[in-house]
Amino acid sequence: MAIINLKKKEVQAKIVYYGPGRGGKTTNLEYIYKKFRSRIQTEMVTIKTHGDRTLFFDFLPIEIGRIKGYDIRMQLYTVPGQVKYESTRRLVLRGVDGIVFVADSLAVRRKENVLSLKSLADNLASYKKSILEIPLVFQYNKRDLLDEGIPLLPVEWLEKDLNSKLKAPYFEVSALKGPNVVQTMKKIIIMTIDSLRKDLT
Amino acid sequence: MTQQRDEDNFRSQVEDRLDHLFQEDSPEPTEEHVGLGEHPLKGLKAVLLSIDWEITDSTMDSLLNEIKNVEYVYSEDKIILTFLQLLGSIGRYIRANKGRAHPDATRVINSVYEALEKVALTEGMSRAEKEKTLLEEVARFKKLKGQVALRKVEKKEPAVSEVTAPPAPAPEEKAITAAESPAREESQPEAREVNFAGMSPHEAFAYALEEIKNVIRAEFRALRAEIKLWRESK
Repeated sequence: MAIINLKKKEVQAKIVYYGPGRGGKTTNLEYIYKKFRSRIQTEMVTIKTHGDRTLFFDFLPIEIGRIKGYDIRMQLYTVPGQVKYESTRRLVLRGVDGIVFVADSLAVRRKENVLSLKSLADNLASYKKSILEIPLVFQYNKRDLLDEGIPLLPVEWLEKDLNSKLKAPYFEVSALKGPNVVQTMKKIIIMTIDSLRKDLT
Repeated sequence: MTQQRDEDNFRSQVEDRLDHLFQEDSPEPTEEHVGLGEHPLKGLKAVLLSIDWEITDSTMDSLLNEIKNVEYVYSEDKIILTFLQLLGSIGRYIRANKGRAHPDATRVINSVYEALEKVALTEGMSRAEKEKTLLEEVARFKKLKGQVALRKVEKKEPAVSEVTAPPAPAPEEKAITAAESPAREESQPEAREVNFAGMSPHEAFAYALEEIKNVIRAEFRALRAEIKLWRESK
């Protein structure tokens, strides 16, 4: 849950990048951190295993600055995608204000995307939050692999599998190369701030 | 009406600030080499990407077949052939061990492929540069081989099969043992059935903590193994 201090006029919100393992959640944050490090002036915290996989979470705080008298801070988190870390994912989701679901476009990952979205819905429900109501943006990652002749899921299939009921905004992304990484982040930040705005007035 | 205008104004200020903070000055620099198009490496790359997810006999056989196809195309190029030997050696090791393979194996195989692609596709790359790139990958391969051997000794399990060494111009390499014992950190089932619904928050936290402890223990084991290797190499 966002921390809103009306006296100090500070707002701090939590955005979590969720999705199946090796889908590109950490790569999203790494891209943002490497590209804009000098502007955001914060440090990214990441805890990886020996096999280069996220162990607990990645964390990237971003100072948006003062808007209408409020100091606005966003905290971007990723969850570990590997199936066995379900309880860790649930813990990272505690107090979440906005979600980016990073789906893997590889054809062989179709089932994992669906299972991961279901786990997101279940984990949110455990905090009495609805996936239908929380600010949510879909990101269909690894689209650049189409140029390499790698079998990918068509966006229409991804939409049908994941977003047919939720009707959330989505972006076709290459987290490794950058296209639409920033647009995804901007969209979820704006949606999250919109959802919190009633508490600021 | 006034409230609506205030909200629009607030939103537009947020958007302006985000645009300012995250303005992308220039497109990402791209690698100089050209795309794969219908290049002989295309099939190999597709299979390698799929084994990042699905390590099955079928995908590993496809990988080894693709390597053979590319070997045929580059039969006169010793450097490329050595890259392919490295890929084949690691591929056979992964095939034998699948999910129990050393966690660095897929990383090294991807690194070797990327270097191969760079060497094969970069126009005007000198032979010396190609050899330097190859030697870097050979060093990675050697390190992996040492880690695998060490892990095997720790588990006290016999080797099952050996794979052949890459030919010149790379320094002579002994292949990775194709099969080894499963690592303790990898031997746990991928997903344990846990009844979270029945857990209180502190129980869930304790459970997560235990998971983290297990992984940290595994990390320390791997770290100790690497330090031992490093000492031995001195």
